[in-house]
Amino acid sequence: MTRTHTFLCVSCPVGCSLTVEEEEGVLVAVSGESCPRGRRYAETELKDPRRTFAGTVAVSGGALPVCPVRSRGGIPKGLLADVARAVSQVVVEAPIVIGQVVIADVCGSGIDITASRSLGGRP
Amino acid sequence: MPEVPVDVAIVGAGPAGVAAGIGAREAGAKEVLVLERDWDLGGILQQCIHPGFGLRTFKEELTGPEFMHRWIERAHGAGVRFSTNTMVFSMDDDGSLWTMNPHRGIEHVVPKAVVLAMGCRERPAGAIKLTGTRGAGIYTAGTAQRFVNMEGLLPGKRVVILGSGDIGLIMARRMIWEGAEVEGVYEIMPWAGGLRRNVAQCLDDFHIPFHLEHAVLSTHGRDRLEGVTVAKIDAQRRPVEGTERYVPCDTLLLAVGLIPENELSRMAGVAIHPGTGGPVVNQFLQTSKPQIFAAGNVVIVYDLADNVSDEGMRAGRNAALYAAGDLPCGGRRFEIKGGKAVRLFSPQWITDGGDATVFFRVVRPFECRCKVFADHGLFSQTHRYARPGEMNEVHLSARDLRSLDPGVTSLTVDVEEV
Amino acid sequence: MTAGNYDVLIVGGGITGATLARELSAFDLRVAVLDKAGDLPSGASRANSGMLHAGYDDKPGTVKARFCAPGNKRYRELHEMLDFTLRPWGSYVCAFSEADCRHLEKLKDQGARNGVPGLDIVPGDVLRRREPQASPHIVAALHAPTGGVVNNFEAVLAFLDNAQQNGVELFLDTEVRRVLLTEGGGEVLGVETSRGIFLAPVIVNAAGTHSGEIAALVGDESIQIRPTRGEYFITDKAIGSMIKSFFFPCPDERGKGVTVARTADGNLLLGPTSVRQGDKDDTATTPQGLAEVMAGALRLVPSIPQELTITSFAGIRAADRTEDFRIGALARPRGFVHMAGIKSPGLTSAPALALHVVELLREELADRISMKPNPHSIPERTHILRFAALTMEERQDLVRQNPAYAQIVCRCETVTEAQIVEAVRRGARTVASVKMWTRAGSGRCQGGFCCPRVVDILARELHMDPDEVTRHGGPSRLLVGHTKAFWQKREAHHA
Repeated sequence: MTRTHTFLCVSCPVGCSLTVEEEEGVLVAVSGESCPRGRRYAETELKDPRRTFAGTVAVSGGALPVCPVRSRGGIPKGLLADVARAVSQVVVEAPIVIGQVVIADVCGSGIDITASRSLGGRP
Repeated sequence: MPEVPVDVAIVGAGPAGVAAGIGAREAGAKEVLVLERDWDLGGILQQCIHPGFGLRTFKEELTGPEFMHRWIERAHGAGVRFSTNTMVFSMDDDGSLWTMNPHRGIEHVVPKAVVLAMGCRERPAGAIKLTGTRGAGIYTAGTAQRFVNMEGLLPGKRVVILGSGDIGLIMARRMIWEGAEVEGVYEIMPWAGGLRRNVAQCLDDFHIPFHLEHAVLSTHGRDRLEGVTVAKIDAQRRPVEGTERYVPCDTLLLAVGLIPENELSRMAGVAIHPGTGGPVVNQFLQTSKPQIFAAGNVVIVYDLADNVSDEGMRAGRNAALYAAGDLPCGGRRFEIKGGKAVRLFSPQWITDGGDATVFFRVVRPFECRCKVFADHGLFSQTHRYARPGEMNEVHLSARDLRSLDPGVTSLTVDVEEV
Repeated sequence: MTAGNYDVLIVGGGITGATLARELSAFDLRVAVLDKAGDLPSGASRANSGMLHAGYDDKPGTVKARFCAPGNKRYRELHEMLDFTLRPWGSYVCAFSEADCRHLEKLKDQGARNGVPGLDIVPGDVLRRREPQASPHIVAALHAPTGGVVNNFEAVLAFLDNAQQNGVELFLDTEVRRVLLTEGGGEVLGVETSRGIFLAPVIVNAAGTHSGEIAALVGDESIQIRPTRGEYFITDKAIGSMIKSFFFPCPDERGKGVTVARTADGNLLLGPTSVRQGDKDDTATTPQGLAEVMAGALRLVPSIPQELTITSFAGIRAADRTEDFRIGALARPRGFVHMAGIKSPGLTSAPALALHVVELLREELADRISMKPNPHSIPERTHILRFAALTMEERQDLVRQNPAYAQIVCRCETVTEAQIVEAVRRGARTVASVKMWTRAGSGRCQGGFCCPRVVDILARELHMDPDEVTRHGGPSRLLVGHTKAFWQKREAHHA
């Protein structure tokens, strides 16, 4: 049986409305996309929807009390709440260098959490 | 007072200012000085820790701090000088700047050309005539964003958001990831103020109710916010009787618009456009004072940081050319006008001395294919959408402008359904 | 628990209590000001128009009529000495009709009888020559050259600050719950408060909207406060110079009507409404009220750009049922003095009322306190430096002495970190009190930029956690905790 879904593609700021037809979890047809990213988005959204996580970690002895971090790739949607919790429990010592891995393989996702900025020590 | 002569001075080290520094250096200016009031470079993007920046410039989605990191590295490489902890508190009408720094005290920075890159600020509750009590817990979304992302402090646990500008949408998701509840987003207009993808990934993903054509009528709670009364509103923005509802919450975040920050521009007598709230500029980002340039959200509020840094580059380059006496001036002048579908636009005038891009926002969403155009057949492009939350652009080449009938003195940009 | 022994306890640290405290500080007396609020001014002294009324409004023979013009004069004598902002800009009452014009004549006559100098009725075109934005429908206006405007926060703080410098003690978060009397109830002994017992032979009731309850604590039911709400708008400073003075409509039975004023700091102030309500502390604004304010303001000055409002607020006037001030010592219990029912022109009259009450204490309560001059009392004080008003050279000198003057915290009003630190030194404990002391957060972004920075400075200077900082005292905490609460505990543990 073919089922039709409507997705709003979040791959870029255009925000295309995708009409997605699926049979037994397999993508049959996509319409409404403006670029090839739309089809890719529809495919992952059907099979394994993922989002980038961004938050902060507590910093010890830093110029700021927290440092922004992000996931280096999409986290399965179902894991996002666990990732948010895991990130809130980490404390990183300053100085921090942008790109530094803060949590490797967060929650077994295979994805690392890295620092989004460099942060020096408390002045 | 000590005088600091420079070729190009830039006010603000956010995405516009840092890029302006690079643009100025690349165009040959020797002494390029960026003045930043904060201890850190990067401006507001340091608190915008979510991904969504730089797709156009760097072909990948960066967080605000990552995006700025790349630009700042590039600026250092280009030989841009930065002065942090330096507040520009006054600008004279010749474009010279009065700055204050804890170590150097007050200095008079005298540049050959200036780029204003102060960005914008948020519209407060008083400006939208929000009524009710004035307890703690009512913040603009950006203030809350600073508390959460820079200071690690939580403004509240049960949140209502008024307005659907991008910062409000982003903060909805952010508050959820910090363990708060978001009761709903209330938007007075029939469409979102921010980008559609932010509605999808910040509200829909978390099943946060999004109430269009709704207003927060009043706030309750004398010491700390305890709740808000919301209601559906009609076309005249009057509450529809019987739809009032009390929503308990301890925090109200306002995402009701951004206003270009032009105190300095006004001090120097720079003409301000009543529509954009920013300086009147031409395609060279030159204001009504020829030595004063402006770029980014200080001119018109953009939706994408890529647009802001692009514009910064151009303003910096043109400021450097002006400082060297090489900026094309004169030529035929055309006034830009917005058509019926256009709410705001920039620049407000152009010359045929160079190519021009006119940026504009629409008054209502075009959810079907539409034609974005400038009249006299100068430009026409078909878009899939044109939505109020995003910036549209029209490109005009100097050659086409020169070929226009001599009687043409103004150009209209507009959008039509096709 | 006894918190202390005093000669005079002043219940309420609004403008009435503050001016009295300052006058009493010239005497060798132990004086305490008790207020239930977490920061001052609160109540009516916080939320009013800051206008110095000339004194033509009040019916001759009333207490208000007796003290308004002298109070106005006293402010002019004191404002330089106490360093608060006063603008002697004058005022106009505007007539739109023949009936209004007759009313102007009546006010002029009343003013002359109340001792108001310089009153003059000018035709509409003369008004518009001086004030081009005034409505073309105004046919005549009563000009009062002594009308003025003060920064009402600064005024209250200046009187209190000077009083404290001369030894008066201020107790905030201190709610008076009981008045202690001698056996038989003939004389006052002191008060029992939320923070202990304060003993004194003289108690002054300057409790504003709550003066009726304080009176009732000694069995005096004659003071009946009928709270009246007034709502206001404040506009961006960009349009503050549209007018040079301030405009009233012709007063009606409800009050002086919605006015348009230029504030001491150069904003426009529109309002107030006048609505009787039951609650003495409900200062919520309403859509109806604010709509009435805007309509009333546009009637006087039609060109006000409506989109340039930056905030709104409401205040409660402490009107007694008699509609007049209630000043005097009770026969029983001895030692209890009222300064109650202080509504408009209460701000204006306060310094004159304070002098009157000093005389009253000297004459009627000499058996209870002795009014010897305090040889150490200094009648002057200075406010926290107003950095925004300084010249470039003055700023440079300051920054060289103290780099914290180079850190602008509030960019709308150009308020520096050094000023905020000084406000804390002088007693500011909340974000609102920092605002009232320094104007940080009063500008067009309404604290959007500076609020987090003010919170940081308060936390640092007062050695508290940022999440304990309040907006205006009590339970008005700005933040509910840390995003990584567990970490803070650990850091505290290690430190």
